[in-house]
Amino acid sequence: MNCKDFESTIHEIVSPRAADKTKQLEALEHAGHCLWCALRFDEETKLTESLQAFARTLDVQRAPARVEEALVQAFRERTWRTAAPRFWLAGKRLWRRLSWGLVFAATVAATWIVILQAPHLHRGSSVPPPQVASNPPLASSEPSQANEELRLAPGQSERQVKAQSERVKSQVAARQSDEPGAARLRNRKPGASVLDHRQPDSGAQAASHGRAERAALDESASEVTTDFIPLGTCDDSECMDEAMLVRVTLPAEALLAFGLPINNDWVAGDSVAADVVIGSDGVPSAIRFVN
Amino acid sequence: MAGLTEIRDEQLLRMMQGGDEDAFTTLYRRRQGGIYRFVLEMSGSTALAEDVTQEVFMALIRDNRGYDPSRGPLGAYLLGMARHHALRLLKRDRTYVSIEEGSRDGRDLTPFSSEDPHWAMSRQQSIQTVQQAILSLPEHYREAVVLCDLNEVSYEDAASVLGCSVGTVRSRLHRGRALLIQKLAGGKKVEAGSKAIDPSRCLA
Repeated sequence: MNCKDFESTIHEIVSPRAADKTKQLEALEHAGHCLWCALRFDEETKLTESLQAFARTLDVQRAPARVEEALVQAFRERTWRTAAPRFWLAGKRLWRRLSWGLVFAATVAATWIVILQAPHLHRGSSVPPPQVASNPPLASSEPSQANEELRLAPGQSERQVKAQSERVKSQVAARQSDEPGAARLRNRKPGASVLDHRQPDSGAQAASHGRAERAALDESASEVTTDFIPLGTCDDSECMDEAMLVRVTLPAEALLAFGLPINNDWVAGDSVAADVVIGSDGVPSAIRFVN
Repeated sequence: MAGLTEIRDEQLLRMMQGGDEDAFTTLYRRRQGGIYRFVLEMSGSTALAEDVTQEVFMALIRDNRGYDPSRGPLGAYLLGMARHHALRLLKRDRTYVSIEEGSRDGRDLTPFSSEDPHWAMSRQQSIQTVQQAILSLPEHYREAVVLCDLNEVSYEDAASVLGCSVGTVRSRLHRGRALLIQKLAGGKKVEAGSKAIDPSRCLA
C-alpha cells in the first residue's frame, strides 16, 4: 500500500464498521513507515471518535409522543375514510348481485308457477263439448242410443270422429237393408254437418262454435221432425264423409211421395220444411220433414 | 404487537396498507428515531426534525404505494423522503445554520452528564464544536457525513437515499471529513490533512 491508496481508503480503515481487516492491517503497516500517513491516520481516528461521541449523544433523541399520537389519529381517519367507501362499494356490489339473484329467482319461480298452472288454465279455458244432437226423437221407436252415437264434440279427435262416422254409416246401411226406404237418421240441426271433420280444437273458435250449436239445438228442440228417410242415391259410404244437412221447402205433396200423411186442413200450394242430407258428391242421400 | 417487532419493514408496510394500526405503530417506532436524528443532525432544529418526521409518515399514510422494493430497503426510502422534506423546508426558510449560531432553535442537543464537571464541560464543548462543524458543511457533504458516519448507513443505502452512485457517496464523504478536520482544527489548514491529499508525498 502506498500513500495514495492509504488516502483513498482512510475513512473506511478508521471506521468502526470496517469489514476488511486485511486492508486495515496493511494501512497500519504503511502508517508505521510513513510519518504523514501516521498523522493522517491519527486525525481521521480522532474525527471518527468525535463523530461517534456526537452520534451517541443523539441516540436518545426521538420524535415526541405527540407526533405518534397525531400520526396514529391520522392513520385511523385515513383507514376509516378508505374503508368506508370500500364497505359501501362492497355493499353496493353485494346488493347488485343479490338483486340480480332475486330477479333470477323470481323469474324461475314465475316460470315454475306458469308451468304448474298451465294444465289448470288449459282446462279452465277449454269449452265443454257442445251437445250437437239433442233433439228428442220424433218416433217413439227410435232408441236414444242413436242420438248418443251422432254426438260430435269439438274436442273429439279425428280418429274418434271417423270411428263414429263408420258406425253411423253401418247403422244406416243396416236400417236400409232392414227397412227399405225408411232408414232413420235422426236429429241433426238444420245446416249443420252430419259428420263434421273440421272440429275446432279449443279456444274462442270452439266457444263460438259451441254457442252456435247450442242456439241451433234450442231452436231445433221446438221442432217436430220425422226420421231421416234414405233416398237410396248414396250407395258409396264415402259420400257421407262430408255430408251436409240443408233446410229446404218442398210442396206438401212431397209428404205423399214418401208415404207420409197429410193434414186434413191441407190446401193446394201449401209447403212443408224438410232437412236434406247432401253427401260429399252433392247428391241428397236422406230427407226428413219438419213440423 | 410483540410478534410484529420481528417482521420486516416491507411486510409491515403491506399490513399497514391493509389497515393494520399495530403494523403502522411498529413501523413508526422502528424508523422514526433514525429519521428524526437524521433531520436533527442535518438541520440542528428539533422543530424541523419533528415536522419532517411527521410529514414523512403522513406521506406514507396518504400514499403508501410509492415505495418500490426493487429500489432499496424501506428505511432508505423513508430517509430519502426525510431528506427531500428537510431540504425543501430549509430552502423555504433560507435560514441556514452558521457555525457560530449553534442549534437553530436555541436548544442544546447534547444532554448534561453527571460526570466530572470539568471533563463534562470539555466534552460538552467538544460535542457542540463537532455539531457546529457538521452544520457548517455544504449540504451534499453534510448529507454523506450524517448518513455514513453518524447513522452508519451503508454506502449502497446512502447512495439510494441521496440518489447518486456509491462512488459519489465515497467521494463526498472523503471531502466532507477533510472539511470537518479543517473546521475542527480552528479554521487553519491542517498540515497533515493538506499533505494527505497530496498523493506525491509518498510513493512507498
